[in-house]
Amino acid sequence: MNAFIAFIMGPMVWIAFLIFILGLIFKLVVIIKDVNARESYVYSYLSVKYSLRSIFAWLIPFFPQSTRQSPVFYAISYIFHLLLFIVPVFLMSHIVLVNEAFQLSWFALDDTLADILTVIVVLALVFFAVRRQTVPEVKYLTSFNDYVLLIIVALPFITGFLAYHQFFFYRQMVIAHVISGELVLILIPFSKFSHMVMAPLTRAYMGSEFGNVRHAKDW
Amino acid sequence: MEESKSFDWSTDLKEVPVREWKDRFVWVEEPYVSQDGETIASIVNVEEAVFTVCENGKTWDSEYEKAWCLRPIPDGQFAACVSSDEEWTVSISGNEWENRFDFIWNFQMNHDGTHISLAVQKDSEYGMVVNDDPWDRMYENINEMVLSDTGNSAAVVQVSSMAAADIEAFKQGVFSCAVNGKAIEKNFLNIWDISFDTSGENVAYGVRTDRTSYSIAVNDSPWDTSFQSVWKPLFLPGDTSVIAPVKTGGKWMLYKDNQPFWKTPYNQLWKLAISPETGKIAAIVSNDFGKWTVAENDVSWDLSIDQMIFDIVYSADGSTLVAVFKDKECWTLAVNQKKWDLAADKVFDPCVSPDGSIVCVVIEKKGQYFLVVNNHIIPTGFDFMTTPVISPDSTKILQKAVKNGVYQRQILSLDKIL
Amino acid sequence: MPKETTTEDVPIVKQKNTDEAVEAGLARLTPERIKTTINQVLENETGPKFKAYVETCMHCGLCAEACLYFLSNDRDPSYSPAGKVKQTIWEMLEKKGDVSTDFLRRAVHIAHTECNVCKRCSMYCPFGIDIAYLMLMVRRICHKLEITPLYIQDTVNSHSATMNQMWVKEDEWIDTLQWQEEDAREEFENLRIPLDKVGADIMYSVIAPEPKFQAGLIYQAATIMHAAGIDWTMPSSPGWDNSNMAMFTGDNEISGRIARAFYETAARLKVKRIVMGECGHAFRSIYDVGNRWVGWAMPPFEVVHAIEFYHQLLTSGRITIADKYKKTVTLHDPCNVSRGRGLHDMAREVTNMVCDSFIEMTPNREHNYCCGAGGGVINCGPPYKGERMINNRVKAEQLKATGAEVLIAPCHNCHSGLEDIVHHYDLNMEVKFLGDIIFETMEKKIFNPGD
Repeated sequence: MNAFIAFIMGPMVWIAFLIFILGLIFKLVVIIKDVNARESYVYSYLSVKYSLRSIFAWLIPFFPQSTRQSPVFYAISYIFHLLLFIVPVFLMSHIVLVNEAFQLSWFALDDTLADILTVIVVLALVFFAVRRQTVPEVKYLTSFNDYVLLIIVALPFITGFLAYHQFFFYRQMVIAHVISGELVLILIPFSKFSHMVMAPLTRAYMGSEFGNVRHAKDW
Repeated sequence: MEESKSFDWSTDLKEVPVREWKDRFVWVEEPYVSQDGETIASIVNVEEAVFTVCENGKTWDSEYEKAWCLRPIPDGQFAACVSSDEEWTVSISGNEWENRFDFIWNFQMNHDGTHISLAVQKDSEYGMVVNDDPWDRMYENINEMVLSDTGNSAAVVQVSSMAAADIEAFKQGVFSCAVNGKAIEKNFLNIWDISFDTSGENVAYGVRTDRTSYSIAVNDSPWDTSFQSVWKPLFLPGDTSVIAPVKTGGKWMLYKDNQPFWKTPYNQLWKLAISPETGKIAAIVSNDFGKWTVAENDVSWDLSIDQMIFDIVYSADGSTLVAVFKDKECWTLAVNQKKWDLAADKVFDPCVSPDGSIVCVVIEKKGQYFLVVNNHIIPTGFDFMTTPVISPDSTKILQKAVKNGVYQRQILSLDKIL
Repeated sequence: MPKETTTEDVPIVKQKNTDEAVEAGLARLTPERIKTTINQVLENETGPKFKAYVETCMHCGLCAEACLYFLSNDRDPSYSPAGKVKQTIWEMLEKKGDVSTDFLRRAVHIAHTECNVCKRCSMYCPFGIDIAYLMLMVRRICHKLEITPLYIQDTVNSHSATMNQMWVKEDEWIDTLQWQEEDAREEFENLRIPLDKVGADIMYSVIAPEPKFQAGLIYQAATIMHAAGIDWTMPSSPGWDNSNMAMFTGDNEISGRIARAFYETAARLKVKRIVMGECGHAFRSIYDVGNRWVGWAMPPFEVVHAIEFYHQLLTSGRITIADKYKKTVTLHDPCNVSRGRGLHDMAREVTNMVCDSFIEMTPNREHNYCCGAGGGVINCGPPYKGERMINNRVKAEQLKATGAEVLIAPCHNCHSGLEDIVHHYDLNMEVKFLGDIIFETMEKKIFNPGD
């Protein structure tokens, strides 16, 4: 058991990060090779200027018309996506681990604040799940997998929260937390989580077509 | 092209005032110049619904209710489509053909002007007429008319009726290629781009055999292979072999007689040119999306054009290949891979001497016309200019231009301008 | 007169129509052919773009808000853009092409009559997924399976045989131009429609419905050209029609052939630019779609849509307005020239230059609702007209809210589609082209640069 724990706390973290980063790089390489081989026309239209114009326009809260038409969803979604990075990256206990390994450290969130933010992430996920159940046009598109994705994202946050408060099974919670965190990292390149890199690409292409060819806004 | 030896190559300048025509007529249409440059002519309106043609200031003896499509023909003459009493015919310098039709269009002439063809419609039936000799059989519709150098005519004709929106009939194939009025007994969904061989006896054309299958047919037999698409086939000179660009596996290939001919697959491949003298084959090709070049015997030119290559022309001896194209918003030429320095708004059809040593072309820039010879712009601008002629010995150019209301036929000595 | 139908009480008809071409095509299909064809298209004719769109969609449903079909059908999720993808592409992928003819009947109906490929949804998807592209891929499959709806297939057949959309015979085309030229001499005694004038500055091009049914539009255009002193020409040969229904049925081969014939005609005539009448899909065809299939990344000639051309004529003083149009007008933004080319502000400027009182409709510009006719939907013909009316209730409501007397629609498809909507919902509006109003209000005098 100890060997297992040592593995998931040690090498497995490395492996998870490697799979996450190499997986995304691999995915990008495959796409670029595929585009070169089959859709090289894309380069005739792709423009850095209009790609960035579109991506930035869509990063400004409530700037695109679509975001103003569904303000609650977008508000929650913006916050959720920000926290998805902020909470794990600026969590004191994570920074401590990094510090132990690499003697690196950076700004850390206050633990209580981090705690609240974690709850917000989980509540946002609950909101998404409820939305999938209650909004007809979303329900229509939703499959079992979409809930699985929500659960997979929720797990590290829930287990982290429980472990931090040491409500019960502390040791098991920590293990579950680490494993679920690793699972998310490993799945990113191979699941719909890859929209992390794919969305900027599709946005860039549509932004380029609209800016370069159509001379129109795409937001 | 008419035999240019008989042209007057010794008189430097001949002038015909044309501005005054505007005062004589209600309106004067765009001018055309005879091949020998001796005559300039326009369709003119005399009064309401009265048209004639004015040649060097003299009108034709006949007047018509309508006239269009004025074209120069050999011996300094002109032809036009004319109509009186709602009947159309061809008038050659005022002398009409005997046959009358309900409509005529698509004027074509073979290289020496001995044969003139048009598409005709009479009583809602369609056919062609060559030198006043109409087809014996007429059809429901006609498209893609061609005239061989030997005077044979061919077109795509609709051989059976099709009700409105009858896609089942279309699927069966209602079109055939008719040669001299006789439809080949093989129907297709579509037929495009008919080519005659040198003898004018055989035809090749692109066909669609079902919704998604294309091929090349020679006379009544399609090739065995079907392709994703095809462009205009050509016969090799003096031969019955046919080459054609075909799309297969998502790429364009040059095929010969149903077999791969060139090795390179291209993104695009069209407009073949063949030099009868050397047997060299050229085509307009694209290797990368949006970039164009010319391939000669399957070797691409070292030239990348970002907009359009419109045409390629060989000199008679096959030594020179000229491409007309638009690159970076400007029209220009390339001669044997070398791009000219022109940045024209328009480039007209180039004229190449038989030995390939002289290439000249009319361009338009900022509303003025200029003559360009071997990449050298002659700085005198004109209000209008038409295709020049190079003398048989390649020492002179016959320039045909209008300036300040005067038509000028000028002989330019190449040793003076180059 | 009692109103028979209003925006409020239109019955929702759930009937999905079909037609004889779809049914005959379906009857001919075998499971093998369905499977092979679908897989051939999905494997050989798509690439990373398609894959990215399918993989990246998070099923968030935000595209729904963009779609007139969804909004007009009381937010029925099966009409949402991603909902349409789910019912077509997703299932084809999931079943690896092993789908039934009933599935295909539904798929052809969705792709051809419940989507205008207007791309409004791409502006509502946070990832910019091109759902119209996916719908066009479904149409491509339907084309290869030969189950394309009857009337639009007939127009494609016409394109393939005559290079125009309406089986206009070559002599009819020239004869119509000559007839309009003669008639338009009512306006100017020496007016011409110069045919095949090599070296003219502008080639003017139209869509086949103009010579077929609306020859008066050629009369108007000739009058405007003549008054503005433009050096222009029209081709007497095939290549004159800039329309392209093949691009909407997925017959890319014919679509490319049309585009090539068109541009080679312009090149043969040695013109500087191409000006086209008020048509949206034709603009898309020559500016954005047909050219790509043959390998012209961008059009080899400058293509000027009528909106932009009128703008140039009015701002340069080549056309002057005698007396501005008095009725209240509103302006519809055709997707292919606003979202497709950014001409919406220019269209407003032209409208304000020729009309006294312009009332904006909401939403507008890139965000305007589609006419419901474009993308080849109206071209599927009478069997689907009833559905088309129900499917664009939201447009009727939007138009009604303006209270304008005249609706300007600078696109043929929009124009016809909106006439149907106006009539069906009894909106009591006149639908006009910009050219109609310019023709009516312009000074009928010839531009003289010295004036």
